Amino acid sequence: MLEVDGLTKRYGDTLALSSLTFAVRPGEVFGFVGANGAGKTTAMRIMLGVLAADAGEVRWQGRPVTFETRRRFGYMPEERGLYPKMRVGEHLVYLARLHGLDAAAATRAAEALTERLGVATRRDDAVEKLSLGNQQRVQLAAALVHDPEVLVLDEPFSGLDPVGVDALAGVLLERAKRGVPVVFSSHQLDLVERLCDSVGIINAGRLVASGTVAELRERETTRQLRVVVPDVPATWAGTLPGVTVVSERRGEVVLELGPGVDDQQVLAAAARAGRVEHFSRRRPTLTELFREAVADVPADRVEVTA
Amino acid sequence: MSGSPRGMVGLVMRREIVTRVRDKSFLVSTLLTLVIVAAVVVLPSLFGGDDDEVTVGVVGNAAAVEPALRQAAAAQDARLTLTTFPDEAAARTAVTGGDADAAFLAPDRVLVDAELSGTTEQVVRTAYQQAVGSARLTEAGLDATAVARALDVPPLGVTAVDPPDPDAEGRQQAAFIGILLLYFQLIGYGIAVALGVVEEKSSRVVELLLSTLRPWQLLAGKVLGIGLLGLGQLVLTGLVGIGAALASGAVDLPSGLAGVVGQVLLWFLLGYAFYACLFAALAALVSRQEEVQNVTAPLTIVLVGSFFLALTVMGDPESTLARVTSIVPPLSAMVMPIRWATGTVPLWEVGVSMLLMVLAVVSLVRLAGWIYAGAVLRSGPRVGLRDALRSGRTQG
Ligand SMILES: Nc1ncnc2c1ncn2[C@@H]1O[C@H](COP(=O)(O)OP(=O)(O)OP(=O)(O)O)[C@@H](O)[C@H]1O
Ligand SMILES: [Mg+2]
Repeated sequence: MLEVDGLTKRYGDTLALSSLTFAVRPGEVFGFVGANGAGKTTAMRIMLGVLAADAGEVRWQGRPVTFETRRRFGYMPEERGLYPKMRVGEHLVYLARLHGLDAAAATRAAEALTERLGVATRRDDAVEKLSLGNQQRVQLAAALVHDPEVLVLDEPFSGLDPVGVDALAGVLLERAKRGVPVVFSSHQLDLVERLCDSVGIINAGRLVASGTVAELRERETTRQLRVVVPDVPATWAGTLPGVTVVSERRGEVVLELGPGVDDQQVLAAAARAGRVEHFSRRRPTLTELFREAVADVPADRVEVTA
Repeated sequence: MSGSPRGMVGLVMRREIVTRVRDKSFLVSTLLTLVIVAAVVVLPSLFGGDDDEVTVGVVGNAAAVEPALRQAAAAQDARLTLTTFPDEAAARTAVTGGDADAAFLAPDRVLVDAELSGTTEQVVRTAYQQAVGSARLTEAGLDATAVARALDVPPLGVTAVDPPDPDAEGRQQAAFIGILLLYFQLIGYGIAVALGVVEEKSSRVVELLLSTLRPWQLLAGKVLGIGLLGLGQLVLTGLVGIGAALASGAVDLPSGLAGVVGQVLLWFLLGYAFYACLFAALAALVSRQEEVQNVTAPLTIVLVGSFFLALTVMGDPESTLARVTSIVPPLSAMVMPIRWATGTVPLWEVGVSMLLMVLAVVSLVRLAGWIYAGAVLRSGPRVGLRDALRSGRTQG
């Protein structure tokens, strides 16, 4: 279990993280989402020890993470960086060896990964000669080359073409299947929804929601219904007590039910208005959950950051 | 799993050396240095370094001066080569072509290329005076053998109270080349360290590296790797210089040359340790290559200053200035080897000077390590020195 416990980090007057807490189980893919400046990068840098926290700790397998444990982590920093003039293959071997692999194992790992990520033909080229997307793939290989026990990737999908996204997603899921906890941040929420077992939404340095995507949807206090009664104006719904019309388009309405409203009564009302073609509970997308979580910043948080 | 701290430093060192050795510009500059040093050593012996060898030709009846030439050359300690030319034209060709330093066309007329000078002049003039003198004495009725005996004067015995060091000139030359190399090596490799540090910052690879390396390991590997390369280059240059001197044969190896070379190498090590750590620490404060020159300017100034100080000291190695600055670090790095080469330095002064330098290096290494650790992960605007020191110290 990878546990992040009560991380707090202050930059001068800015509170970048305030008691950030979450846990990722082995084999779990954890999506870390939040608005720009929410604190994702800060948290990941602290997890990798390149930044010191003011308070809190990170634990792996129940023990506080030390320099030695971190060497078995794989990391992709937000600021991509490799030696521009070093050859791709040699670079990966060098990084693998810095993480403790012997020369032969490092070479094998570098070859396998470049193959897997589609940059095998560029092994003898200097990193700077690759396109940005291909450099990104090499960067990813750099995070994976020492077969890490834990993966922490800061926006690994940004800048990749769809084929690259699929290749990367495949590799991440494969590593997770082997029992590696994978934490990655992203602004591509559809991707997060597709790949992640669980999601943490961070806002202004604090985790405002976390759990599996399904859990987050269930936990949603407001219930929405999607009802299609063709060619009938939505006035039938507007008159029901406790029901608000969220959107309406050619007979398709999205309704939000207040507390205690019985959805079967809504169905009956719809049937009275016309022929009901579709009636379902509408699940909010991750994007909507995200918007909502980020929108209502509790008043006390505003005070703390100010 | 390997990964001992020392193993990590070794890996970093290896990368530093391999990437640099592979760089064409490094090979070219090394080769160029070697060629220049060899040329500086060999060239003086090719041009005009042949004063003690005298080649004199004689034409026709001028052969009469031959015995006098032999005597004069022996008295001058010069090696004489005598040639006979069939006619004046042949003598002219030989003299203009440099095959002969002078040619007697007649007992009282000598042909030279440009002017009569150096040992040749002394041999030729002495021989001429002797030849004329003995001819006149014989004319006056004196027995020829008696005349010859009378004129064969044994060399004057000279006892010097303070004899000049016969190697002084050679040592001076070696010292100059040594100090020049030391200067270029210290400044060149110091800047290489600075650029290497900033390359890692500007390419952001440092964040990835420091997730598996401690800052001191990265710093030590870089400084040691680049330093080893600098030392290797210096040793190679020294060997080529000595080899060229031996091969050309014209320059006698001054007896103290090994000592001079040893001093240069020793002070390169101490000086490099001192400057490289500072170059690295200062470079860690900035994030762009263009800022390196600015931030390391104080070090460059000290280096250039010590270089000129060393040149001054070379002229007067026994002055108070020389004695003081050859003990004060880091000036001693360039002044002490020059004093060693050109003057006479008591061993205890060398010892004190080295000890002070080592102490300076030891205390600086820690300071530089803190500054480096406190600044190397902070990209963007220039990091304040004190700020870096504070955060570096708390990281431990
Ligand atoms: N070096 C720094 N100095 C001062 N403030 C900083 C520094 N780094 C980050 N911050 C602040 O900390 C907060 C969190 O930044 P962080 O980079 O962690 O956000 P993020 O979630 O990664 O954002 P993004 O999605 O844009 O990458 C921001 O308010 C940022 O301005
Ligand atoms: Mg970020």
